[in-house]
Amino acid sequence: MNEITRRDADAPRPAGEERRQDTLLPAVDIHEENDAVHIIADMPGVTRDSLVIEVDNGVLSLEGEVAIPMPEGLSPLYAEVRAQRYARRFTLSHEIDSEAISARIDSGVVHLTLPRRDTHRRRRIEVQAA
Amino acid sequence: MFGDLRGLDPARAQGMEWVRQLFDEMFPGGGAADIRSVPSGSFPPINVGRTDDTVRVYVFAPGLGAEDLEVSLQDNVLTVAGRREAPAGDEARTRFRQERFHGDFRRAVALPEGLDIDRAEARFRDGVCEIVLPKRDELKPRRIEVQAA
Repeated sequence: MNEITRRDADAPRPAGEERRQDTLLPAVDIHEENDAVHIIADMPGVTRDSLVIEVDNGVLSLEGEVAIPMPEGLSPLYAEVRAQRYARRFTLSHEIDSEAISARIDSGVVHLTLPRRDTHRRRRIEVQAA
Repeated sequence: MFGDLRGLDPARAQGMEWVRQLFDEMFPGGGAADIRSVPSGSFPPINVGRTDDTVRVYVFAPGLGAEDLEVSLQDNVLTVAGRREAPAGDEARTRFRQERFHGDFRRAVALPEGLDIDRAEARFRDGVCEIVLPKRDELKPRRIEVQAA
């Protein structure tokens, strides 16, 4: 699965984004291993369909909507989660290969793998005949 | 439901939630706190809502499944307990951020009286555990017939 989409800087934003909503900042772990940076983000209630990951101009944005089915007429008694949208952005350094980013989501945990560009790629140099 | 919660917090300006939280943490006191209230950011966050015939508890426990969460109810206090394992991996790797909770947790919330515990149900999906507690019949809203004089 791969929800990464590229977007032109001046592309029109979807209509839903016009409405400013409160957003939650998902907790993340970030580490580097095996020539890739890994981001693990807690986004409970977000499904594969409600998760949007984009790279735009060197900025990685991670957004997701809490998509839990709830009955009509549910009124809050007590709430610690007070928004239904998560959003977080990270700037990418140039050695990240943004074309090769992959993501998966399982039980509300998003795992992103951001491979580094292969700068040590072995290249064969053709020797021209004299 | 989560979109409507601004009503719980009358003094809050949009986008300024973090300032309010910062001040709440720096200057506790003032109003009386609930005996079971916890500092914001405790794991797992819990929401409680109500409909005409049920009370619903949402436990936000990403990465956990039904077998990892222990839910119990005694004297209208709901307790959720469990453990979230630290992500496995090479100890030598470079870590930049570690914000996600791991370890043992146990949290309790007080619920309204008059719930039918025997008919309670819980299900887990996408990292959220929904616990549905039906109200006993005497607590459900009832229509009162108005007699003609």
